[in-house]
Amino acid sequence: MAIVEATPSVITAGPVEPPARAWLRRLSIVVPAGVIVLVGLACFLGPLVLPVPKPVGGNVLNAGLPSFSPGHILGTDPNGNDILSRILYGGRNSLIIAVSVNLIGLTVGGGFGALSGYLGGATDTFIMRVFDVFIAFPSLVLIIAVAQSLGPSVITAILALSFFGIPAVARVARAATLTLREQPFMAAAKLCGTPWWRVLIRHIAPNIAPQLITFAMLGMGLIIVLEGALSFLGLGVPPPSPSWGNMISEGQASLSATPMLVLWPSLTLFVTVLAFNLLGESLRARWSSR
Amino acid sequence: MTAIAQERGYRSTWARVLRSPALRLVVKRLLLAIPITLGVTILTFWVISLIPGNPAQQLLGPEATPQQIHQMELQLGLDRPAYERYLSWLGGAVHGDLGTSLVSGQPVTPQLADRLAVTGELVALAVFGSLALAIPVALLAARRPNGVFDRVSMFVSMAGLSVANYVLALVLVLVFSVKLGVLPAIGFVPLSQSVTGNLQSLVMPATAIGLPLFSIYTRFLRGDLVDQMQGQDYVMTAQAKGIDPWQVLVRHAFRNSSYGLIAVAGLNFGVIIGVTVIIESIFALPGLGQLMLQGINARDMVVIQACVVVFAVVTVIGNLVADLLQTVLDPRIRYGDR
Amino acid sequence: MRTNIKLMAALMAALLGAVACSQQGSSTGASPAGGSPQRGGQVTVLEDAAFAGGWPTGLDPATNATGGANLSQMQAIYGGLFLLTANPDGSGAKITPNQAQSYEIADGGKTLRIKLRPGLKFSDGTPFDAKAVVTNFKRDMTSTCTCKPIWILAKDGIAQEGDDTVVLRFAQPTGAAIDNFPIANVNWIVSPTALQQMGEDKFRVNPVGAGPFKVVSNRLSSELVLQRNPNYFKPGLPYLDRLTFKSIGGDQAAYQALLAGQAQAYEGLTTVPLLDQATKNDRLTVTSQPPTSPYVIQLNTSIPPFNNEKAREAIYYATDFDAIAKGLFKGKYPVSQSFTAPGGLFYHQQVPGYRTYDLAKAKQLVQEIGGINITLGTLGAYVARQVNTALQTQWRQAGINVKIEDYQLNTLVQKFNSKKWTAMLQTAGAWDPAAGVGVAFRFNSNSPFTGVKDPKLDALLNQAAGEVDPAKRDALYMQSGKYISDKAYAPFGLAFAPANLATKGVSGPGLTTKIPSLAVNNGIIWDQVWNSAK
Repeated sequence: MAIVEATPSVITAGPVEPPARAWLRRLSIVVPAGVIVLVGLACFLGPLVLPVPKPVGGNVLNAGLPSFSPGHILGTDPNGNDILSRILYGGRNSLIIAVSVNLIGLTVGGGFGALSGYLGGATDTFIMRVFDVFIAFPSLVLIIAVAQSLGPSVITAILALSFFGIPAVARVARAATLTLREQPFMAAAKLCGTPWWRVLIRHIAPNIAPQLITFAMLGMGLIIVLEGALSFLGLGVPPPSPSWGNMISEGQASLSATPMLVLWPSLTLFVTVLAFNLLGESLRARWSSR
Repeated sequence: MTAIAQERGYRSTWARVLRSPALRLVVKRLLLAIPITLGVTILTFWVISLIPGNPAQQLLGPEATPQQIHQMELQLGLDRPAYERYLSWLGGAVHGDLGTSLVSGQPVTPQLADRLAVTGELVALAVFGSLALAIPVALLAARRPNGVFDRVSMFVSMAGLSVANYVLALVLVLVFSVKLGVLPAIGFVPLSQSVTGNLQSLVMPATAIGLPLFSIYTRFLRGDLVDQMQGQDYVMTAQAKGIDPWQVLVRHAFRNSSYGLIAVAGLNFGVIIGVTVIIESIFALPGLGQLMLQGINARDMVVIQACVVVFAVVTVIGNLVADLLQTVLDPRIRYGDR
Repeated sequence: MRTNIKLMAALMAALLGAVACSQQGSSTGASPAGGSPQRGGQVTVLEDAAFAGGWPTGLDPATNATGGANLSQMQAIYGGLFLLTANPDGSGAKITPNQAQSYEIADGGKTLRIKLRPGLKFSDGTPFDAKAVVTNFKRDMTSTCTCKPIWILAKDGIAQEGDDTVVLRFAQPTGAAIDNFPIANVNWIVSPTALQQMGEDKFRVNPVGAGPFKVVSNRLSSELVLQRNPNYFKPGLPYLDRLTFKSIGGDQAAYQALLAGQAQAYEGLTTVPLLDQATKNDRLTVTSQPPTSPYVIQLNTSIPPFNNEKAREAIYYATDFDAIAKGLFKGKYPVSQSFTAPGGLFYHQQVPGYRTYDLAKAKQLVQEIGGINITLGTLGAYVARQVNTALQTQWRQAGINVKIEDYQLNTLVQKFNSKKWTAMLQTAGAWDPAAGVGVAFRFNSNSPFTGVKDPKLDALLNQAAGEVDPAKRDALYMQSGKYISDKAYAPFGLAFAPANLATKGVSGPGLTTKIPSLAVNNGIIWDQVWNSAK
């Protein structure tokens, strides 16, 4: 909701639209934003107000209950924990990880990438080669190293996943900046002697934001799934603490026998990823029409 | 025409080629690949030395006494300082000898060639297959933003991003191997043995790796195309001239958007390698990922280092190709000061 | 969910039909289990990459660090001096001479005489005689694998008597020496000539033995291709022409590969929901092996909190393995109170005075000592992780603060070496408690994996391992179990054993019949495995 209210001036600034289209446009932002807020509320506040059991410490005698059982609407996992509760609590971990990795990627990677593209020359070469080393370095080795020396945890997962988030965003940001460099307003800024950081924040950031937003929104899903892949290798959010990724990874061990263990968290992930990306695309459309 | 004139003509052609920015870029980047690969190997050595445990323990098993472990460490040269071990490894690597596995006692180089064939083909199929699919889908989607095709492709892409590779792999096997019986569930058939057999053995693993890539490529390219079509002067000019919008999209906007796509495709490598490890184990493929995971678990520095070097070289070359393509596609970059 | 299982089953049935049709009805020829064996054909066996499917150090028994996991590969290549055999239902398990002809225990358990079959040859044609066996034994005893037998030999304790007899002389009575063979590296005899010609590094990849199969190619921890050994000493055996071992990532992938027809056998299925599903599938034969090694919760009695007997008692009272067996495993596996299980020797269901689940007592004890903070670790495997999670829940109810962790082997070893661990969920015991990863492995003061340092217990276990008379051994093990229980050293629990899967038409001892587990997996006898669905 906050997003919609913060940007009404943009709507009036554009060319006059027929009311129906303006309404649709607004809807295309409100609906996905609403879904995201809903998912966030359900995960972070839901367990406090809803009568759901704890995500860990379920009774083993309730292990493997089917979906739609009384008291456990989505059933229980092989340890007797309520699946709905694990999805809600797991969402906290997954969302925290995905948002943190994205924020780190956007600020660190985006910053360096844009700077590299803007300054060019030796600085560009140096920054990009350092990132090249990280891109060329199989992150698996790094992840295992980080996870085994620090022990698996949410923080470790964020750190490990950021290692491929940062250079990735940096490259996209640089590529986008390069195309801006020849634009007249950039030349003007340079002529006026504007300091680089101001150009970066005032001129480059708003212009490369649409590309980065799409990339980041796509990243949300990818990161959550990758965290599950870490769990697959025993390096993600350590059980019994849930995350969507480790629920999927634990469920796949008996996929054909208990498909619901994978289906529920995957569906939740799908809805969330869809909402993030729809929002990203609508925001982007709005920005580029400016 | 006299011989001298001809000679002069050749010479000027050569001179032109030598002065061409594309060639200079290639040479420059190839030279840069050396410090990058070096950087990667140093980083690996350092990172692995941070992981607790060492190959002596793995080699001797849990029953070994501290004395036995110490002796094995001496035998393996693990007592020498890390930089010394690195330098002697580097000395061999320069001569094409990537060393002998600490754990199995087997030379690493022949194993690598064998396994690179599997993983290389798998990754190439996944990346190029998903690119080949993503480009037409994105073009069609961008033709009418928010149209039916755009929405459908959106849903498919998001589903592709939400399904974990390893789950997708298992589901594919359930459908195509167990139910329909048309594709083998496990194993690898070398290309030299049978082309169809080879493709059959890799199509499911490549799909499992490629679907999320396809999703990312499609959405990224589609977004960029829509931007190009909406905001850019040349598009308006072309439209004003009455050129078919589809032509504008394919000829102009796509050309402009493609370098962003190439940049994205070039950097997925690290992620793909991580995923390959899991997919190879599900399909029992004797690939590089498996070798590397075994190396990591055994703390076998020689094996890890060899795999890392191969991955690094391939990534550097891949990114170089991506950069070259960008230069060809976008003249503004070609004459930039790189 | 229920409807989904049905749906899944219907789907399976449909697709099975499809697969069967595509094989032109050959599967209709699948004879009922126990049909007569046939020569020829081949079998591909899948092994879990995380356990039996990993042989990173090669397959030379003297240098293989994972020998306990690779029993199947070793049996196929080397055959074995002795085998553990049993009736098809798993009863009457006994040690049967194989490449050995007979054995004799003398001097009250201090001497073991092994007589070899006459005229045995390795697959390279060189003689399999006492000299070769002595060379092998000497090499094997320098190994650091857990599969090295726990023998304390007298000086020059390995010797030959004539060409066909090997004599082992022990420093102390070792009554269980012979029971050690099926899980020990000394069971697998390599050709000393081939070893010398190739050198150790090449030999471990292309080993030469006298078993039913010869190595064609060996890609470490990935694929092992074997073919029939034409000079095998048993006439008409092995039945199969070709045997391939492949490493695969996980039970689900293996299960699917069997249904798709790309493999015919899978060893060591542990994922319980899949086990249920596989049992209902009429294309597969599922054989759950008789368990021999119960879970044990090792407590580190050298450091707080478990140097305090009350803290240990609290764990006993807080642990309800019956609930775990019922809830997680639908009562399929028995619960032990000692280091023995129904499939093994010297099993008794109960230990007198064993502290069973009593939450009130547990809470009271925890309060009395002012709280307990511990970490419960285990080796990362599906069942172990599940049991760990359940234990955490139960203990928390008693007010015990538990963190759970699962490790890879490397990390696990380090935890033990650091001596700072507090509690570990492990398995203890073997078919014979004195053999392999037996009871001493978890309780003897000298073992790097013990949580207990008690000379009295050491003496009891040593005596039991040394005794020759089974009745006396039984009494000694009973006494040891009671002693552990009285001192509250380590609660025991569920005795789990993995299952073996085979597609219809494939049969063989240990694969489709029951043989008690040796350590984790049981010993499949590969020369008698046959495939009628060629």
